[in-house]
Amino acid sequence: MTATMQQPARVKKRVLPNLVTGQEIVLVGVIAVLWAALALSTPAFLTAGSIQPLLVSTAPIALIGVAMTIVIITGGIDVSVGGAIMVCSVLTAKALVGAEVNLPVAVLLAVAAGGVLGLVNGLLIAYGRVHAIIITFGTANLFMFLGLQIFGSGTVNGIPGTLAFFGRGPDGRTLGIPHAFLITVLITAAVWWYLRNIAGGRHFFAIGGDEQAARLAGVRVQRRILLAYVLTGLLVGLASCFVIAQGTSTLDQSVGSGKELAVIAAVVIGGTSIMGGRGSVLGTLLGALLVQSVASGVTQLGWRSQLSDLFVGIFIIVAVGADLLRARARRSR
Amino acid sequence: MTATATKQREKTDYIRILLTQRIALLAVLIVVVVVTFFINDAGGYLTAPYDFDYMSASLINAVPLAMLGLAELLVIMSGRGGIDLSVGAIVSLAGMGFGFAYGEWGWPLWLAILGTAAFGALLGAVNGFLVSYIGFPALIATLATFYAYKSLAIVINNQQPISTKPIQELFSMSKPVELPLIGEYLPDVPLGIFTFLLPTVVAVWLLLARTTYGRRLYAIGTNDVAARWAGLPVRDTRFKAYVYAGLISGLVAVVTVGQFASARPDAGVSGNGMALPAITIAVLGGVAITGGIGRVAGVVLATLLIVWLNAGILLAFVGNEGSQYQLLALGSVLVFAALLNGLTNRKYGGSS
Repeated sequence: MTATMQQPARVKKRVLPNLVTGQEIVLVGVIAVLWAALALSTPAFLTAGSIQPLLVSTAPIALIGVAMTIVIITGGIDVSVGGAIMVCSVLTAKALVGAEVNLPVAVLLAVAAGGVLGLVNGLLIAYGRVHAIIITFGTANLFMFLGLQIFGSGTVNGIPGTLAFFGRGPDGRTLGIPHAFLITVLITAAVWWYLRNIAGGRHFFAIGGDEQAARLAGVRVQRRILLAYVLTGLLVGLASCFVIAQGTSTLDQSVGSGKELAVIAAVVIGGTSIMGGRGSVLGTLLGALLVQSVASGVTQLGWRSQLSDLFVGIFIIVAVGADLLRARARRSR
Repeated sequence: MTATATKQREKTDYIRILLTQRIALLAVLIVVVVVTFFINDAGGYLTAPYDFDYMSASLINAVPLAMLGLAELLVIMSGRGGIDLSVGAIVSLAGMGFGFAYGEWGWPLWLAILGTAAFGALLGAVNGFLVSYIGFPALIATLATFYAYKSLAIVINNQQPISTKPIQELFSMSKPVELPLIGEYLPDVPLGIFTFLLPTVVAVWLLLARTTYGRRLYAIGTNDVAARWAGLPVRDTRFKAYVYAGLISGLVAVVTVGQFASARPDAGVSGNGMALPAITIAVLGGVAITGGIGRVAGVVLATLLIVWLNAGILLAFVGNEGSQYQLLALGSVLVFAALLNGLTNRKYGGSS
């Protein structure tokens, strides 16, 4: 009796992947050590006034990173998110200034715009059968063209505080937790659960592991890939609202520039394999948090802010290097 | 009857050649672009004359673009997802090195150029070591070094550019010159073409087409497992591809310092950076992102196409509209080329 009860439970345990991966534990440890070191050297670090802005600025990178993780799990990549951020944020900013739209409409507009851009990428990649990096290099240029055209000349000025709900100010927090970060955590948790427990989520891993095998096993590969890029677009739209809310009342043409690499850095530090088939959105959230903590720490220690990029580079090497070593250990076992 | 059949076959052959031979396609596109702008020029739609003098002067933009395109050609060809995102950051950092050596420490010019090239090669060797010997995916390794080099270039001189007198005098390098003997019949050509671009093009072509190393690079890019079983030094060959890419980036750093008359810490990474356009040029030139396929002539023709297209667009629009439409042109051409590649692969089983 007891034996038959235990049997299915054991099978289930084998089918589901581990709750947390090694990389996530390592990242939590690294962040803890880093925060402790920063708290010791600058007592101001572990205060709400310092942690809250850190969480707010982590949100957009982590949010896009969640979708980018899925894209990379399928074996693709999206280097056009920087351009897409520009299009979504300038469009939304113009609507806020010109049409004085309210908060839900602004968010809807940004998310819809992002969805359309993601759809363009997804259709070209899934049905054009071209490597994602080439297509998204191309669409990155097209999106930037589109964004600059909407900008017209110069900057968008006098953006009203409609989006303060996502911002750095007191309007952007509940019980001291910034809304932008809270939303990011909730979406990360939902996607984490979906990727781990739902067949549709497992299909992304199957595609990244072996696209041909996944197709033969009945996965609708093209639709799944399309979905991954559309989701990226939707989350880019939401993240653009965060970006506008975090800024001043002025939006300039450099918005989004270089963000694609920051997002990819967060994803790979989080332990997602660039080869596809393996990855975790939880790791991505931690990766983004680590990168922002380093940036914040460098500023608080009074070093040059550009020095944080050096640490980002080193972290990528260490994180992926550790992953490579573990993979080698797995193989030899 | 037979005559029409032959004619029919000839016709499909032309289309086939155009689709499968990237060089033929690029040549046709260049002619289309140049003729279009000539017609526009004759109709008076452009803000300044688009003639051979203008086309020749615009070639100054081709020097860094084509050289970095060739650098990407080498690493992408080496296979295993080969790519180098760090070339722009190497240009910045090596450029600062050149600024110190020539502008501050007073090294002789030839020694400073050699030193900068060697420095670039060293930075490329870090990439090569990570990718080839440790086994990092190239995208990750060069993303990491992109961040590291970019940061170092900015921090090394406290964000300040170096523009001492010797550096400013380097500007003469990018001046147009009249060719000897036949020069009076031809438009003046920017000096950088002869001092940097042509030697690099010839050297890379010789390397790929006339040396054992070149044949090995094609072999490991096509199938590195087969190459290993054939006894080729796969790791060493791939490592050197990244070293050569770094070396070329070091030379581009010298060119860029000369062009700006100043060693700028953000020279290769400001705005969109230099890596993305270079990768675009390589892909447009027919380099397969999966490795093993690619030709120097393709990269050179792709550069000419983009440079002359951009030069024309600059005249067709007023103000910074022009630079925006250059983005549109670059993006559309790349997407078009990529989709075409996909189509030819399915229809004719590959292009060269």
